[in-house]
Formats: sequence, structure tokens, C-alpha cells
Amino acid sequence: MSYCVNCGVELHETCSVCPLCHTEVHNPRHPADENAPKPFPVRQGAVAPVQKADVLILISVVLAVTAGVCGLLNLLIFYGTYWSLYVIGGCVLLWVFCLPMFLPKISPYVSILLDGGGIAMYFGIIAWLHPGRGWYPDLAVPLTVLATGLILLFAVCVRQIHASILSCAALLLAETAVYTIAVELLIDRFRQTPPGLTWSAIVLTCCVIIDAALITILRHSRLREEVRRRMHI
Amino acid sequence: MKKRLNEKKPWYRLDLSAIVYPTLQRKNFSSVYRLSVVLKEKVEPDLLQRAVDETLPRFPTFKVAMRKGVFWRYLEPNDRPGPFVEPDIANPCMPMSFQNSSRYLIRIYYYEKRISLEVFHSLSDGGGAMYLLRTMTAVYLRLKGHPIPVGQGVLDLMEEPDAEELEDAYFRYASSKVRPPRSREKTYRIRGTREPFYTLNIITGVLPVQQVLSAARTYQVSVTEYLNAVLLYALLQKQKDDRVFRELPVSIAMPVNLRRFFPSKTLRNFITMVYPAIDPRMGDYTFEEIVLQVHHFMRYYINNKFLNADITTNAAVTRNPFIRVVPLFFKDIVIRQFYKRVQDKQSSAGLTNLGIIETPEEMKAHIERFDVLMGQPFSARTNCAVVSFGEILSISFASSIVEADVERMFFRKLVQDGIHVKIESNRKTEVR
Repeated sequence: MSYCVNCGVELHETCSVCPLCHTEVHNPRHPADENAPKPFPVRQGAVAPVQKADVLILISVVLAVTAGVCGLLNLLIFYGTYWSLYVIGGCVLLWVFCLPMFLPKISPYVSILLDGGGIAMYFGIIAWLHPGRGWYPDLAVPLTVLATGLILLFAVCVRQIHASILSCAALLLAETAVYTIAVELLIDRFRQTPPGLTWSAIVLTCCVIIDAALITILRHSRLREEVRRRMHI
Repeated sequence: MKKRLNEKKPWYRLDLSAIVYPTLQRKNFSSVYRLSVVLKEKVEPDLLQRAVDETLPRFPTFKVAMRKGVFWRYLEPNDRPGPFVEPDIANPCMPMSFQNSSRYLIRIYYYEKRISLEVFHSLSDGGGAMYLLRTMTAVYLRLKGHPIPVGQGVLDLMEEPDAEELEDAYFRYASSKVRPPRSREKTYRIRGTREPFYTLNIITGVLPVQQVLSAARTYQVSVTEYLNAVLLYALLQKQKDDRVFRELPVSIAMPVNLRRFFPSKTLRNFITMVYPAIDPRMGDYTFEEIVLQVHHFMRYYINNKFLNADITTNAAVTRNPFIRVVPLFFKDIVIRQFYKRVQDKQSSAGLTNLGIIETPEEMKAHIERFDVLMGQPFSARTNCAVVSFGEILSISFASSIVEADVERMFFRKLVQDGIHVKIESNRKTEVR
């Protein structure tokens, strides 16, 4: 038996390092016996994946039946307007949103793209029923594409770069500023008024001030540590 | 056929404590704890499986699956094959999915001379699950040819389960007219590097009971009070070493076995939490002062009046008609947020003492010791579990952080007090 010279505790016969302080054990009379059974096994356990395919099938059937029945009702009984397209589109959108819950292997980027596509499709249905003054190609499509792109960028930063909470907050604010400006400029173009920043400038200013503060904190390690300590992050 | 159709399938409401644990369930977290018995001979898996199969029907509240209702979850008898004994793993208390293929909420492992039982906390507390482990071990030893009688924690398999064993004992005793507030001050949280998923660091200290008793007696306190004081001392040291911007009180979440105060044979949860604490903002505490503080705290709060008030506060929530009609989905969100933002922040570490484990005399000759693991902590910190059997007291720390500072300070203090400590761990103990 060996004792840790640092902690004074007796160590298990297989230990060549103290698990409490990592001090190496040098005992010529009793060297660590690496062949003796260790106090704990080394085999790693893993939780068996849960099969959620049954629930996905159930939800798919319920949504498909809802969409089909509404379509038939629209065609045969309550005809006049294509109201069932709202229900059918809603069912498709719900199914797309539910997909990552049941298929955990699906890439989150693909899932975000599918969600963006689903929302654009639903706007398309509304635009087809209420064409308006071309709001779909001028407003809905660019805003949906931009929002999807910004969410994708955020997801990449969180998952690939493993950005800290402060960096994520800075990115989120910057994206909010960009999106707000895009909304105002696109509305101006849609209304055929000269492009200019008014209300979005206020959002932009707030975001720039907070972002500047966050970037300063991120660049100075002492400040960063101070904030982490205070915020417990 | 008609009779079978009319047969009512029994089901069990979750007890008062059990309600919280499923709401905290995440992909990488379950409230699972582990009880182990170290025998004097190597475990034979086939016999152990037979022992499990024979024992489990006597414990109907352990042979269950978790189900979701509209307003609450409940437990339903589980007749699927299993649970099956498995070779032990390096990462005990790993998450337990409610939808796994067998739906069992217990696991049984074996490794060398050790039998381990892992239990989802909604089924039972450590005191209740210890009956299952002892009975299972007794059946296993009987199958090996040793005559083990019933009694002293070993239940009779021929007997029908007593209704009291299955009851939610909280509601029988929650009768206080006042309800103390739940929220307490925010406490110091251990800072450390979080281990990756599927890692649970264990450090077990094996100590001679007599030495711990005499150390506690020198301070004129009980073993639980002494060990609580040592853990508080280690946490205070750790907070100092962390050089935190603002010091916070250091507090321990300690479950109290209510069976000691309110007679009940229940095998389900029957515990409540107390929080012995030290506030370093009032000044530096010596170890003797910490021991004294803990001693007075325990004597003041751990009695049937205060504990009754505490369980009445918890019972009031489930009795409230407005809360009862809220759908489970919203309850889950509120309970999870309350636990995350309030409850979890009220303690810096956890400590449980299962006390002295009694077994029939004939069984003692085949058992070396018992071990308890409190399981994976909800937030990055360390949990400590104590149990004693015969001449051995076992203290096991389970932690999800890389650093072992608290464990080191804790065991060093015991060594300083003249206690011989033998350490076993699943951490890396080879020279890199």
C-alpha cells in the first residue's frame, strides 16, 4: 500500500497518481500494480437511443389526414374560396417544424433551411390567395431568406466555433441591427419611397453601443473575467 | 375473458418529492443515484439475474414505467422483460430515458465483487431502495447456498407487499398550520471545468467507523454534523481560493430521512431537505465554530415540528386546485425554471448520510461494505454520500467537474483529524 505524500491518504493498489492532487506515487517497495482489478471499470456506458419513429408516423398520419379531409371538404362541400390551402400549408409547416424532434440525426443546418423554406412556402400560399401589390417577391421572400441566413450564421457560430455567451450576444445584436435595417430599406423599396434610415437608426445605435461595450469586454481578459464572475457565466 | 377485461390495472401517483425529478430530465441528465454492496466473493451474473427476477415482484413500486397524464405523471406496472443485469460501466448514473426499450427505471450492474443498483429518484429515496438492494443481495446469497433469514432490511418474498410500503407518506403527516417560505439566499457555486457528457468523476474514501466517531466526539457532535462541518470547511476554503469578487454564503443541501420522525414503512420517497450554511461575510470561521454552528442548526431544525412545516409547504403546492388543473406541459416549464433559478442555487453541494446499514447477522459475513453515490449533479458541482456498515464508513463524491479541490480539502481535513482514509477513484490514476 502507498500513501500520497501530499494528502496523507492511502491509495488503491492500482494508483500511480493521487486522484486528489495528481502527485505521482514513488514507492519502490510497493509499486502500483497495474494488473490488479481497478476499483471501477473502464468500459464506458451509453444510453440506448430512443425510437421516436412511431410518434413521427402518428403525427404524419394525423397531419396528412387533416390536410386531406380539409382539401376534400373544400372541393366538395365548402367551395368558393381555396381556404383549405391555409390548413394544408399549416400542416406541412408543422410537420417540417416537428422533424428535428423525431429525427435527431438530421443536421440542424438542414433543419433551419427546411424551416425557412416552409415559412416561405406558407407566405407563398397567402400571396397566391391575396396577391396584393407584389408583397411576396418584394418583402416576404427577401426577409425570410435574410432571417434564415442570419439564423444559420448564428448556429454555425454556436456549434462550430463554440463561441462564448458574450460573443454570441454580440453577434445576436449585430444580426438584429442588420435585420432591422433590411426591414426598413425593403419597406421603403416596396412603398417606392427614397431609401433612408429612420426608426431602424435608433435600433442600430443601441445595438452598436452595446456591441462596442461587449467587444471591449471580449478583447480585455481582465474585464472579461470580471463580467464572468459577476454574471456567473 | 370478461374477468380479465374488468381487472383494474394498478397505478401509482408520483409522491411529493418524485414530481420534481422527471421535470429536470434532459438528454444529458437524469436524477439517478446508485447504491452498491461490495461482497467478499466475485459476483456471479447468472445467479444475480435470478435473484433480481425473484426479488422484484415483491417491490411493485420499483417494477414500473413512467407515464404522462394530462396534469401529472404517474407510474404504471411494467411487465416487459427485464431489468437485466449488466457488467458495470465507468460512468455510473448516466441518464435514464423514460422511453427506452424496457422502460425500467432501475439498473443493476456487477463488477468484480460489487453489485450496484441504480434507481431513478421518482421511485424511491436511498432508504427505500436500500431495502431492495439488501433483499436482492440476500436472495443472491441464498442462491449461492448461504442461509439468510428475513428481517433487518431483508423483506420476505413470500409476503404480499404491505399497503404502507406503497403509500405516499407525505400526505399522511403534512399537517402544519404554518408554511415556512421556500426561497433562501443565493449561495456560492463551485467554479470548475465542466466534464464532457458521459463523465461522472467518483472519489470514494473508505474510513474506519471508530476513528470517525472518536473525531466527532472530540467536537461533541454526531458523525453527520461532523462530516457536514468538514464539507462546509472545504467549500469555504475553495471559495477563498477562487478569489471571488463577492463572497456568498456556503450551504449544503442535506436530505433528511423522515421515517425517523414520522413512522412509516414506505419504500417510496420520504425525505425533505435541510440547508446547513455558513456565511463568511460575517467573518472568518474556525473549524470549531463551523462544527458548533452546524450542530446547533441541526438540533434546531431537524425535529418533527420543523420537518412537518417543511413538508406541508411542499404538499400545499400539489393540493392547490388551481395548480392541479394546469396542464403538465406548463407545470414542467414552471417547476424546471423554479428548480434551475431558485432551488439549485440554494446550495453549494449536496451531502446525504444513509447512516448505519443493518443486515441479518448471517449476511454480514459475506459483505465487505456498502457504497452510495448521489449521482450526477444538476449543475456543475460535487455531491457527497455517506454510508456505514460494520467497521467501515464509506464517503463517495460524485462530481461533473474536472477539478477535485473540494474532495482534496475534505479528505485532507479528515487526515488532519487523525482519521485513516483509503481512496478509490474512477479518475485517471496512471502517470500520463
